[in-house]
Amino acid sequence: MASRASGAVLSRAGRIRSKLQSSLEASALEIEDVSHQHAGHAAVRESGAAETHFNVKIVSPKFEGKSLVSRHRLVYDALADELRSGLHALSIVAKTPQEVAPK
Amino acid sequence: MATSTVGLSPSPLRSLTSSPSLPPRARIAPSLPFASRLKPRLALSPLPAARRRPAGTRRPRVSAALTSLSETEPVSVPADSGELAGRFPSASGVYAVYDGAGELQFVGISRNIAASIAGHRRSVPELCCSVKVGVVDEPDRVALTQAWKSWMEEHMTATGKVPPGNESGNTTWIRQPPKKKPDLRLTPGRHMQLTVPLEELIDRLVKENKVVAFIKGSRSAPMCGFSQRVIGILESEGVDYESVDVLDEEYNYGLRETLKKYSNWPTFPQVFVDGELVGGCDILTSMYEKGELSGLSKK
Repeated sequence: MASRASGAVLSRAGRIRSKLQSSLEASALEIEDVSHQHAGHAAVRESGAAETHFNVKIVSPKFEGKSLVSRHRLVYDALADELRSGLHALSIVAKTPQEVAPK
Repeated sequence: MATSTVGLSPSPLRSLTSSPSLPPRARIAPSLPFASRLKPRLALSPLPAARRRPAGTRRPRVSAALTSLSETEPVSVPADSGELAGRFPSASGVYAVYDGAGELQFVGISRNIAASIAGHRRSVPELCCSVKVGVVDEPDRVALTQAWKSWMEEHMTATGKVPPGNESGNTTWIRQPPKKKPDLRLTPGRHMQLTVPLEELIDRLVKENKVVAFIKGSRSAPMCGFSQRVIGILESEGVDYESVDVLDEEYNYGLRETLKKYSNWPTFPQVFVDGELVGGCDILTSMYEKGELSGLSKK
Protein backbone atom coordinates (compact mmCIF):
# COMPACT_ATOMS: atom_id res chain seq x y z
CA MET A 1 0.00 0.00 0.00
CA ALA A 2 1.32 3.37 -0.98
CA SER A 3 0.26 5.02 2.24
CA ARG A 4 2.18 2.67 4.46
CA ALA A 5 5.57 4.22 3.85
CA SER A 6 4.40 7.73 4.55
CA GLY A 7 2.12 6.57 7.34
CA ALA A 8 5.04 5.63 9.50
CA VAL A 9 6.53 9.09 9.56
CA LEU A 10 3.61 11.43 9.11
CA SER A 11 1.02 12.38 11.67
CA ARG A 12 -2.56 11.54 10.86
CA ALA A 13 -3.09 15.16 9.85
CA GLY A 14 -0.22 14.80 7.42
CA ARG A 15 -1.59 11.57 6.00
CA ILE A 16 -5.05 13.09 5.59
CA ARG A 17 -3.48 15.98 3.73
CA SER A 18 -1.48 13.86 1.33
CA LYS A 19 -4.34 11.44 0.68
CA LEU A 20 -6.88 14.14 -0.07
CA GLN A 21 -4.37 16.08 -2.13
CA SER A 22 -3.55 13.14 -4.35
CA SER A 23 -6.91 11.43 -4.72
CA LEU A 24 -9.10 14.53 -5.00
CA GLU A 25 -6.62 16.91 -6.64
CA ALA A 26 -7.52 19.51 -4.05
CA SER A 27 -6.86 23.06 -5.12
CA ALA A 28 -7.26 24.27 -1.57
CA LEU A 29 -7.07 22.23 1.58
CA GLU A 30 -7.29 23.16 5.24
CA ILE A 31 -6.97 20.53 7.92
CA GLU A 32 -7.45 21.30 11.57
CA ASP A 33 -7.03 18.83 14.38
CA VAL A 34 -9.88 19.43 16.81
CA SER A 35 -9.44 16.22 18.79
CA HIS A 36 -8.97 18.19 21.98
CA GLN A 37 -12.58 19.37 21.71
CA HIS A 38 -13.67 15.78 21.97
CA ALA A 39 -11.33 14.67 24.70
CA GLY A 40 -14.24 13.72 26.94
CA HIS A 41 -15.95 11.79 24.19
CA ALA A 42 -16.76 8.25 25.33
CA ALA A 43 -15.24 6.55 22.29
CA VAL A 44 -12.07 8.63 22.49
CA ARG A 45 -11.60 8.16 26.20
CA GLU A 46 -11.77 4.40 25.88
CA SER A 47 -9.28 4.07 23.09
CA GLY A 48 -6.97 6.74 24.47
CA ALA A 49 -6.24 7.72 20.90
CA ALA A 50 -5.11 11.14 19.79
CA GLU A 51 -5.93 12.67 16.38
CA THR A 52 -9.51 11.49 16.24
CA HIS A 53 -11.45 14.56 15.12
CA PHE A 54 -10.61 16.88 12.25
CA ASN A 55 -12.14 19.80 10.43
CA VAL A 56 -11.48 19.55 6.72
CA LYS A 57 -12.07 22.31 4.20
CA ILE A 58 -11.43 21.12 0.71
CA VAL A 59 -11.86 22.55 -2.77
CA SER A 60 -11.74 20.02 -5.56
CA PRO A 61 -12.81 19.93 -9.22
CA LYS A 62 -13.98 16.38 -8.57
CA PHE A 63 -16.95 17.74 -6.61
CA GLU A 64 -18.37 19.36 -9.74
CA GLY A 65 -22.00 18.36 -10.29
CA LYS A 66 -22.07 16.22 -7.15
CA SER A 67 -24.42 16.36 -4.19
CA LEU A 68 -23.09 17.03 -0.71
CA VAL A 69 -23.54 13.37 0.18
CA SER A 70 -21.46 12.28 -2.82
CA ARG A 71 -18.77 14.85 -2.05
CA HIS A 72 -18.49 13.73 1.54
CA ARG A 73 -18.36 10.11 0.39
CA LEU A 74 -15.40 10.94 -1.87
CA VAL A 75 -13.60 12.38 1.13
CA TYR A 76 -14.49 9.41 3.33
CA ASP A 77 -13.42 6.97 0.60
CA ALA A 78 -10.04 8.64 0.33
CA LEU A 79 -9.62 8.32 4.08
CA ALA A 80 -11.03 4.81 4.52
CA ASP A 81 -7.79 3.49 6.08
CA GLU A 82 -7.72 6.33 8.58
CA LEU A 83 -11.34 5.78 9.56
CA ARG A 84 -10.55 2.14 10.21
CA SER A 85 -7.55 2.99 12.33
CA GLY A 86 -8.92 5.43 14.87
CA LEU A 87 -10.08 8.50 12.95
CA HIS A 88 -13.44 9.07 14.55
CA ALA A 89 -15.16 11.97 12.86
CA LEU A 90 -14.64 14.63 10.25
CA SER A 91 -16.35 17.92 9.83
CA ILE A 92 -16.26 18.51 6.10
CA VAL A 93 -16.73 21.58 3.96
CA ALA A 94 -16.47 20.43 0.35
CA LYS A 95 -16.63 22.97 -2.47
CA THR A 96 -15.85 23.15 -6.15
CA PRO A 97 -13.35 25.71 -7.48
CA GLN A 98 -16.27 27.52 -9.08
CA GLU A 99 -18.12 27.82 -5.79
CA VAL A 100 -15.21 29.52 -4.06
CA ALA A 101 -14.24 31.74 -7.00
CA PRO A 102 -14.79 35.44 -6.29
CA LYS A 103 -17.74 36.71 -8.26
CA MET B 1 -57.20 18.38 48.85
CA ALA B 2 -53.88 16.83 48.18
CA THR B 3 -51.74 18.86 50.49
CA SER B 4 -48.62 16.86 49.88
CA THR B 5 -47.95 18.37 46.48
CA VAL B 6 -45.21 20.95 46.44
CA GLY B 7 -46.28 24.41 45.41
CA LEU B 8 -49.86 24.20 46.54
CA SER B 9 -51.58 27.03 48.26
CA PRO B 10 -52.05 26.02 51.88
CA SER B 11 -55.77 26.56 51.72
CA PRO B 12 -58.21 27.12 48.91
CA LEU B 13 -59.26 30.37 50.50
CA ARG B 14 -55.83 31.77 50.19
CA SER B 15 -55.88 31.15 46.49
CA LEU B 16 -58.56 33.78 46.25
CA THR B 17 -56.98 36.36 48.48
CA SER B 18 -53.28 36.25 47.90
CA SER B 19 -51.77 38.02 44.95
CA PRO B 20 -51.51 35.93 41.80
CA SER B 21 -48.15 34.37 41.24
CA LEU B 22 -46.80 31.63 39.09
CA PRO B 23 -44.06 29.69 40.80
CA PRO B 24 -41.94 27.86 38.26
CA ARG B 25 -42.45 24.57 40.02
CA ALA B 26 -46.17 24.76 39.46
CA ARG B 27 -45.74 23.26 36.05
CA ILE B 28 -48.25 20.96 34.58
CA ALA B 29 -46.86 17.71 33.36
CA PRO B 30 -47.43 17.42 29.62
CA SER B 31 -48.66 13.91 30.23
CA LEU B 32 -51.92 15.13 31.69
CA PRO B 33 -54.62 14.02 29.30
CA PHE B 34 -56.26 17.40 29.23
CA ALA B 35 -53.23 19.59 28.96
CA SER B 36 -52.50 20.88 25.52
CA ARG B 37 -48.82 21.60 25.16
CA LEU B 38 -48.35 23.83 28.11
CA LYS B 39 -44.68 23.86 28.61
CA PRO B 40 -43.24 26.10 25.89
CA ARG B 41 -45.52 28.97 26.67
CA LEU B 42 -45.16 28.82 30.38
CA ALA B 43 -42.43 31.38 30.64
CA LEU B 44 -44.23 33.81 28.40
CA SER B 45 -47.65 33.71 29.93
CA PRO B 46 -48.45 36.87 31.81
CA LEU B 47 -49.99 36.82 35.23
CA PRO B 48 -53.59 35.76 35.14
CA ALA B 49 -56.02 38.52 34.48
CA ALA B 50 -58.02 39.41 37.52
CA ARG B 51 -61.48 38.05 37.24
CA ARG B 52 -62.74 37.62 40.72
CA ARG B 53 -66.06 37.34 42.26
CA PRO B 54 -67.07 39.58 45.11
CA ALA B 55 -65.73 38.49 48.46
CA GLY B 56 -69.12 37.28 49.61
CA THR B 57 -69.19 34.40 47.15
CA ARG B 58 -66.10 32.70 48.52
CA ARG B 59 -66.54 29.11 49.36
CA PRO B 60 -63.92 26.67 50.52
CA ARG B 61 -63.44 25.22 47.06
CA VAL B 62 -60.94 26.25 44.46
CA SER B 63 -63.58 26.14 41.79
CA ALA B 64 -65.61 28.66 43.71
CA ALA B 65 -63.71 31.34 41.83
CA LEU B 66 -64.73 29.79 38.57
CA THR B 67 -67.96 30.54 36.81
CA SER B 68 -69.82 27.34 36.00
CA LEU B 69 -69.76 26.04 32.46
CA SER B 70 -73.43 26.77 31.83
CA GLU B 71 -73.14 30.33 33.15
CA THR B 72 -70.14 31.15 31.01
CA GLU B 73 -70.90 32.90 27.74
CA PRO B 74 -69.38 31.33 24.64
CA VAL B 75 -67.10 33.52 22.55
CA SER B 76 -67.03 32.82 18.83
CA VAL B 77 -63.69 31.94 17.30
CA PRO B 78 -62.76 34.63 14.75
CA ALA B 79 -61.95 33.61 11.20
CA ASP B 80 -58.80 35.69 11.32
CA SER B 81 -56.26 34.19 13.67
CA GLY B 82 -54.82 37.65 14.28
CA GLU B 83 -57.94 38.55 16.22
CA LEU B 84 -57.67 35.59 18.57
CA ALA B 85 -55.47 37.37 21.05
CA GLY B 86 -57.96 40.20 21.36
CA ARG B 87 -60.83 37.88 22.07
CA PHE B 88 -59.26 35.34 24.40
CA PRO B 89 -57.02 35.96 27.40
CA SER B 90 -53.41 34.85 27.39
CA ALA B 91 -53.95 33.78 30.98
CA SER B 92 -54.19 30.37 32.62
CA GLY B 93 -57.45 28.57 33.00
CA VAL B 94 -59.96 26.13 31.66
CA TYR B 95 -61.64 26.35 28.27
CA ALA B 96 -64.41 24.46 26.50
CA VAL B 97 -64.51 24.24 22.72
CA TYR B 98 -67.82 23.92 20.82
CA ASP B 99 -68.40 22.95 17.21
CA GLY B 100 -70.76 24.61 14.73
CA ALA B 101 -73.74 22.64 16.07
CA GLY B 102 -73.03 23.88 19.57
CA GLU B 103 -71.81 20.48 20.73
CA LEU B 104 -69.10 20.50 23.37
CA GLN B 105 -66.03 18.89 21.78
CA PHE B 106 -63.25 19.31 24.29
CA VAL B 107 -62.47 20.73 27.71
CA GLY B 108 -58.83 21.67 28.23
CA ILE B 109 -56.62 23.62 30.56
CA SER B 110 -53.80 25.87 29.52
CA ARG B 111 -51.21 28.32 30.75
CA ASN B 112 -52.07 30.49 27.79
CA ILE B 113 -55.65 30.05 26.71
CA ALA B 114 -55.42 32.26 23.63
CA ALA B 115 -52.38 30.35 22.35
CA SER B 116 -54.01 26.98 22.97
CA ILE B 117 -57.14 28.02 21.11
CA ALA B 118 -55.00 29.31 18.26
CA GLY B 119 -53.32 25.88 18.12
CA HIS B 120 -56.64 24.04 18.07
CA ARG B 121 -57.97 26.35 15.40
CA ARG B 122 -54.97 25.54 13.24
CA SER B 123 -55.21 21.77 13.66
CA VAL B 124 -59.01 21.26 13.76
CA PRO B 125 -60.66 24.46 12.48
CA GLU B 126 -63.92 22.63 11.69
CA LEU B 127 -64.40 21.78 15.38
CA CYS B 128 -63.59 25.23 16.77
CA CYS B 129 -66.57 27.52 16.43
CA SER B 130 -66.90 28.97 19.87
CA VAL B 131 -65.10 28.69 23.17
CA LYS B 132 -66.05 29.23 26.79
CA VAL B 133 -63.20 30.43 28.94
CA GLY B 134 -62.73 30.33 32.70
CA VAL B 135 -59.63 32.11 33.91
CA VAL B 136 -58.14 30.52 37.01
CA ASP B 137 -56.46 32.76 39.54
CA GLU B 138 -53.46 31.38 41.34
CA PRO B 139 -53.16 28.77 38.65
CA ASP B 140 -51.18 26.02 40.26
CA ARG B 141 -51.61 22.51 39.08
CA VAL B 142 -54.31 21.63 41.56
CA ALA B 143 -56.36 24.75 40.92
CA LEU B 144 -56.29 24.11 37.19
CA THR B 145 -57.14 20.46 37.60
CA GLN B 146 -60.01 21.40 39.91
CA ALA B 147 -61.35 23.86 37.38
CA TRP B 148 -61.16 21.25 34.64
CA LYS B 149 -62.88 18.68 36.84
CA SER B 150 -65.69 20.99 37.78
CA TRP B 151 -66.49 21.81 34.13
CA MET B 152 -66.18 18.19 33.07
CA GLU B 153 -68.41 17.02 35.90
CA GLU B 154 -70.94 19.69 35.16
CA HIS B 155 -71.11 18.68 31.53
CA MET B 156 -71.23 14.96 32.29
CA THR B 157 -73.95 15.42 34.88
CA ALA B 158 -76.01 17.47 32.45
CA THR B 159 -75.56 15.28 29.38
CA GLY B 160 -74.26 11.94 30.60
CA LYS B 161 -71.48 12.18 28.02
CA VAL B 162 -67.77 12.77 28.01
CA PRO B 163 -66.77 15.42 25.44
CA PRO B 164 -65.46 13.42 22.44
CA GLY B 165 -62.08 15.15 22.60
CA ASN B 166 -61.60 14.08 26.21
CA GLU B 167 -62.30 10.41 25.64
CA SER B 168 -59.25 8.32 26.24
CA GLY B 169 -57.36 7.53 23.08
CA ASN B 170 -58.63 10.64 21.29
CA THR B 171 -55.57 12.63 20.29
CA THR B 172 -57.32 15.27 18.20
CA TRP B 173 -56.78 17.97 20.78
CA ILE B 174 -53.69 16.92 22.57
CA ARG B 175 -50.40 17.46 20.88
CA GLN B 176 -47.60 15.71 22.64
CA PRO B 177 -44.32 17.50 22.20
CA PRO B 178 -42.26 15.55 19.63
CA LYS B 179 -39.49 15.21 22.17
CA LYS B 180 -41.55 12.76 24.13
CA LYS B 181 -41.25 10.18 21.38
CA PRO B 182 -39.13 7.21 22.42
CA ASP B 183 -36.06 6.19 20.48
CA LEU B 184 -36.72 3.26 18.19
CA ARG B 185 -35.08 -0.09 18.82
CA LEU B 186 -34.10 -2.33 16.00
CA THR B 187 -34.02 -5.65 17.82
CA PRO B 188 -35.88 -7.22 20.73
CA GLY B 189 -32.61 -7.62 22.63
CA ARG B 190 -29.01 -8.53 22.28
CA HIS B 191 -29.44 -12.21 23.04
CA MET B 192 -32.48 -12.78 20.89
CA GLN B 193 -31.97 -14.60 17.65
CA LEU B 194 -32.81 -12.29 14.75
CA THR B 195 -35.14 -13.82 12.18
CA VAL B 196 -34.43 -10.96 9.79
CA PRO B 197 -30.90 -9.71 9.15
CA LEU B 198 -30.03 -6.34 10.68
CA GLU B 199 -29.48 -4.75 7.23
CA GLU B 200 -33.04 -5.55 6.37
CA LEU B 201 -34.33 -4.13 9.64
CA ILE B 202 -32.46 -0.90 8.87
CA ASP B 203 -33.79 -0.89 5.33
CA ARG B 204 -37.38 -1.30 6.49
CA LEU B 205 -37.01 1.31 9.19
CA VAL B 206 -35.68 4.05 6.91
CA LYS B 207 -38.21 3.27 4.19
CA GLU B 208 -41.21 3.11 6.46
CA ASN B 209 -40.46 6.39 8.20
CA LYS B 210 -40.16 9.75 6.51
CA VAL B 211 -37.23 10.99 8.60
CA VAL B 212 -34.92 8.80 10.69
CA ALA B 213 -31.92 10.06 12.64
CA PHE B 214 -29.33 7.53 13.79
CA ILE B 215 -27.66 9.24 16.70
CA LYS B 216 -25.26 8.60 19.53
CA GLY B 217 -27.31 8.58 22.70
CA SER B 218 -31.01 9.11 23.03
CA ARG B 219 -32.95 11.98 21.54
CA SER B 220 -33.54 13.37 25.00
CA ALA B 221 -29.88 13.03 25.97
CA PRO B 222 -27.58 12.88 22.94
CA MET B 223 -24.06 11.77 23.87
CA CYS B 224 -22.21 13.55 21.10
CA GLY B 225 -22.16 17.17 20.03
CA PHE B 226 -22.87 16.36 16.39
CA SER B 227 -25.89 14.24 17.28
CA GLN B 228 -27.08 16.96 19.59
CA ARG B 229 -26.89 19.53 16.83
CA VAL B 230 -28.81 17.29 14.44
CA ILE B 231 -31.57 16.76 17.02
CA GLY B 232 -31.64 20.48 17.72
CA ILE B 233 -32.09 21.27 14.03
CA LEU B 234 -34.84 18.70 13.53
CA GLU B 235 -36.67 19.89 16.63
CA SER B 236 -36.43 23.54 15.75
CA GLU B 237 -37.76 22.86 12.26
CA GLY B 238 -40.69 20.96 13.76
CA VAL B 239 -39.79 17.80 11.85
CA ASP B 240 -41.62 14.65 12.91
CA TYR B 241 -38.71 12.24 13.00
CA GLU B 242 -37.74 8.90 14.46
CA SER B 243 -34.47 8.43 16.29
CA VAL B 244 -32.31 5.39 16.84
CA ASP B 245 -29.51 5.27 19.41
CA VAL B 246 -26.52 3.58 17.78
CA LEU B 247 -24.82 3.28 21.18
CA ASP B 248 -27.60 1.11 22.58
CA GLU B 249 -25.75 -2.18 22.89
CA GLU B 250 -28.75 -4.03 24.20
CA TYR B 251 -31.39 -3.31 21.59
CA ASN B 252 -29.28 -2.11 18.67
CA TYR B 253 -26.38 -4.49 19.02
CA GLY B 254 -24.10 -4.42 15.99
CA LEU B 255 -25.95 -1.49 14.47
CA ARG B 256 -22.96 0.84 14.09
CA GLU B 257 -20.96 -1.48 11.86
CA THR B 258 -23.98 -2.69 9.89
CA LEU B 259 -25.29 0.80 9.32
CA LYS B 260 -21.91 2.06 8.11
CA LYS B 261 -21.96 -0.62 5.44
CA TYR B 262 -25.63 -0.16 4.62
CA SER B 263 -25.30 3.57 4.07
CA ASN B 264 -21.71 3.60 2.86
CA TRP B 265 -21.08 6.33 5.41
CA PRO B 266 -18.46 5.91 8.10
CA THR B 267 -19.60 8.30 10.83
CA PHE B 268 -22.57 9.22 12.99
CA PRO B 269 -25.04 10.85 13.19
CA GLN B 270 -26.76 9.81 9.97
CA VAL B 271 -30.05 11.23 8.80
CA PHE B 272 -32.31 9.46 6.32
CA VAL B 273 -35.23 10.99 4.46
CA ASP B 274 -37.56 8.75 2.45
CA GLY B 275 -35.08 5.90 2.74
CA GLU B 276 -32.15 7.92 1.40
CA LEU B 277 -29.13 9.04 3.37
CA VAL B 278 -29.19 12.83 3.48
CA GLY B 279 -25.94 13.08 5.38
CA GLY B 280 -24.50 13.82 8.77
CA CYS B 281 -24.28 16.88 10.90
CA ASP B 282 -22.41 19.07 8.37
CA ILE B 283 -24.86 18.45 5.56
CA LEU B 284 -27.91 18.82 7.77
CA THR B 285 -26.54 22.08 9.13
CA SER B 286 -25.95 23.34 5.62
CA MET B 287 -29.45 22.34 4.50
CA TYR B 288 -30.87 24.03 7.57
CA GLU B 289 -29.02 27.24 6.81
CA LYS B 290 -30.27 27.19 3.23
CA GLY B 291 -33.84 26.58 4.39
CA GLU B 292 -33.99 23.23 2.65
CA LEU B 293 -35.47 21.42 5.63
CA SER B 294 -38.69 23.37 5.85
CA GLY B 295 -40.31 20.88 3.47
CA LEU B 296 -39.90 18.17 6.09
CA SER B 297 -41.92 19.98 8.67
CA LYS B 298 -45.33 18.45 9.17
CA LYS B 299 -46.95 21.80 9.77
